[in-house]
Amino acid sequence: MAILINNRKYDVIVIGAGPSGVSSAVNCAKKGLKVLIVDLNSNTGGQIYRAPPKTYKSISKKLKENEIQKQLSNEIKKFKIETAYNHTVWQVSPGFKVNAFNETSTIQWQSKSLIIATGTYEKIIPFEGWTIPGVIGLAACTIILKAHHFIPSKKIVLAGNGPLLMLVAYYVIQFGGKIDAIVDTSSKIDWIKSSFSLMTNPKNFRDGIKWVFKIFLNRIPVYSNSTIEKAFEVDEGIKLKIRNLKTGKAKNIISETIAIGHGLIPSTDITRLLRAEHIYDEQKGGWIAKVDRFLRSSVRGVYLAGDGAGISGALAASDKGLLASSTLLYDEKIISQKEFDQNTYKILKKLDKYEVFSKAISKLNSTPKKIIENIDNGTVICRCEDITKSEILRAVDQGARDINQIKSWTRLGMGPCQGRTCQYAASKIVAEYLNYEIDNLGYLTGRSPIRPVPLDRVLGDFDYEKITKVEAAPL
Amino acid sequence: MTETDVAIIGGGINGGSTGLELAKNGLNVTIIDKNFICRGASGVNAGTLTMHMTRAQLIPYAKKGWELWMNTSEWLSKEIDVEKKNGLCLAFTEDEEKLLIERSKIRKYYGADISIISIKEAQRIDPNINSSIKCAAFCEMDGYVSANQTGNAYSKALKENKVKILENYDVSKIDYHKNKYVIIFKNGEKLTASSIILATGVNLEKTLKLLQINIKIKCLPQQLIVSERMPKIMDTVITVANGKLSLKQFKNGTVLIGGGWPGIGNIEDNYTETKPENLIGNMMLACHAIPRLKSSRVARVWLGLEAETDDAMPIIGEIPNYENAYVIGSIHSGYTSGPYMGKLLAEKILGKDIDLSLFDIKRFL
Repeated sequence: MAILINNRKYDVIVIGAGPSGVSSAVNCAKKGLKVLIVDLNSNTGGQIYRAPPKTYKSISKKLKENEIQKQLSNEIKKFKIETAYNHTVWQVSPGFKVNAFNETSTIQWQSKSLIIATGTYEKIIPFEGWTIPGVIGLAACTIILKAHHFIPSKKIVLAGNGPLLMLVAYYVIQFGGKIDAIVDTSSKIDWIKSSFSLMTNPKNFRDGIKWVFKIFLNRIPVYSNSTIEKAFEVDEGIKLKIRNLKTGKAKNIISETIAIGHGLIPSTDITRLLRAEHIYDEQKGGWIAKVDRFLRSSVRGVYLAGDGAGISGALAASDKGLLASSTLLYDEKIISQKEFDQNTYKILKKLDKYEVFSKAISKLNSTPKKIIENIDNGTVICRCEDITKSEILRAVDQGARDINQIKSWTRLGMGPCQGRTCQYAASKIVAEYLNYEIDNLGYLTGRSPIRPVPLDRVLGDFDYEKITKVEAAPL
Repeated sequence: MTETDVAIIGGGINGGSTGLELAKNGLNVTIIDKNFICRGASGVNAGTLTMHMTRAQLIPYAKKGWELWMNTSEWLSKEIDVEKKNGLCLAFTEDEEKLLIERSKIRKYYGADISIISIKEAQRIDPNINSSIKCAAFCEMDGYVSANQTGNAYSKALKENKVKILENYDVSKIDYHKNKYVIIFKNGEKLTASSIILATGVNLEKTLKLLQINIKIKCLPQQLIVSERMPKIMDTVITVANGKLSLKQFKNGTVLIGGGWPGIGNIEDNYTETKPENLIGNMMLACHAIPRLKSSRVARVWLGLEAETDDAMPIIGEIPNYENAYVIGSIHSGYTSGPYMGKLLAEKILGKDIDLSLFDIKRFL
């Protein structure tokens, strides 16, 4: 049997080994709980502090992010926390049973409580040509830069919005690339307005200034209030059309790679699977699991750490991990009310401060109505199933009124990514078209497996005689 | 308060097909669904149109249903993909061979054009099947529908025939006086109808209670598994002797594994959950039948709730003690025969002499 059942019952399984997962695992381990931390990557760090591949021995210059990742791993080792790296969670069921697969097989663990620290994935508003080779996500680009230390191509266009644009620009210049353009849906005034709020977090603000300064010094053309309308392959590379959403003016340029991203979407795969309550909060990234102030979800025993229940960024992540795990320890009567109050008082105060910062960030990441309207009808929205904007609108015209009905009629979100990539944009398009509040459309029902499971790994080698017998159907 | 000739509670294929036929004959029809049209079993089932899994007594109805599915553009809509395929039912052991021969013989007696064929013949029909089979049963009358499109197709057809559709309308009470039914919804609205048809699938037990009819309807939570898109690995609809596998590859390349392996689920809070050991069993059986399937990845698993009466036979026809009240549901392999069953009930309501005694609800009262 290729499903290995691990009968050891953990007190808590932490899913995700980014900063929030690690801090919550450590907090629980310190109090003597049996903890398992699971991650699909080969080490701690999550996306933000992703470690370079183990085989990269010749990386000479270590980045700040790589150092932080090392610290996280050391913490895990110091408290002798059990780890399951390279394990992709594909099913979580009440009770709790966590199923994951690695290179060879699939395994099931059990635990009393769950801390979900699965972070976010990137939000991309599609445009005509976004599926051609050479168009990558902005967040994906940061991973290439920070974990692999190289740039996707010498010449690159960065597009989308938010501070990630500036961060990626900084690293591309650092690694010797040439930025042909930065295409930002926000205006310069948006940036100035938000800078006061961003100042509440001096450390990150200083970083931001450093990035912007570098962009300025390198005279990189910045197109504000603008979006990429169209991109296609030409002999010289990728030809793209930049549209100014305010003036309507268009400009064509040629580059080699486009890195585009419009912010981040909290991952709700597991909470949707567990049928937890979810709410829509545009500022926090869209659909998020409903949590109380102490990060308890609506399902007893399930806590959310990190950006999963609303984006507040890397700095807040470890504090959110502490908060979620302290709540768990309190609910399990491992720490007293007094200790809990003491722990959480400080954290909550800190988190309130971060909130001002993260609100400003999410404002810069907001999706202007105009870029949704501007999407050409022939543009593919669901790239797993090749569903275009006009096919979505056709289903709406025929009476589909919620996202699951649109899924069923068009196949949108039925592919291997299970709608992670298209749900946000598709919902925006439909809400805009119907003049609906977006939350009226609902969210895609959580379905197992969260990530596609290779059948050979689930099944292994088997004899026909060993297959479970079920009652024959009536004749 | 609004009025209608016929109120159909339940907008699946049973209610939808009955309503469509009534509307085509000039009646004013309203279809009520507590969710959306065909979003229950009608929209999430495997879409298999096979005789190999049909209950023997239902074969004549399934055949008629199959014919209707094969020409949906004429009576339903163009918005639904239907494919005719050969059907192979496989036996892997000697016991299964015996079972398959016996079951096929009975199905044949009831009118299914099924023949037992050798390994060689089976491999000629579909070279992708496991070469270790003992024998196979073959039937040309097989195929599948992309069941996820059912809602779109029915919704369009019903609207074109001026059927009024009330979605997200949950019925809380049915009053009956002076030969009229007053349906009261949870949102406070009311609808008056001269006739009513109950077609709420797995919820029929609860809906029948509104008319003080108490019968048991089991809820079978069935698991379905679909692969990612992959190159063509099979060209038939595959089933097995004991009826616990349905397997086919759609035009877009995805392979759907069904067969009614139970998961966990209940009607009350509409909760469903997979049973990993049954998923594994179902997948193993599928990979045993089509070995190349093992190189694929599972993209999604979901469950549908199937309704079953105590004798696993349908309930279709008049509801006793009421005038102009009808029920339709619990049709085994109901997706295949549903459109025809709906048509039959409609014809009966329209005054034709249709014999539905085999499905009379009275047998449970």
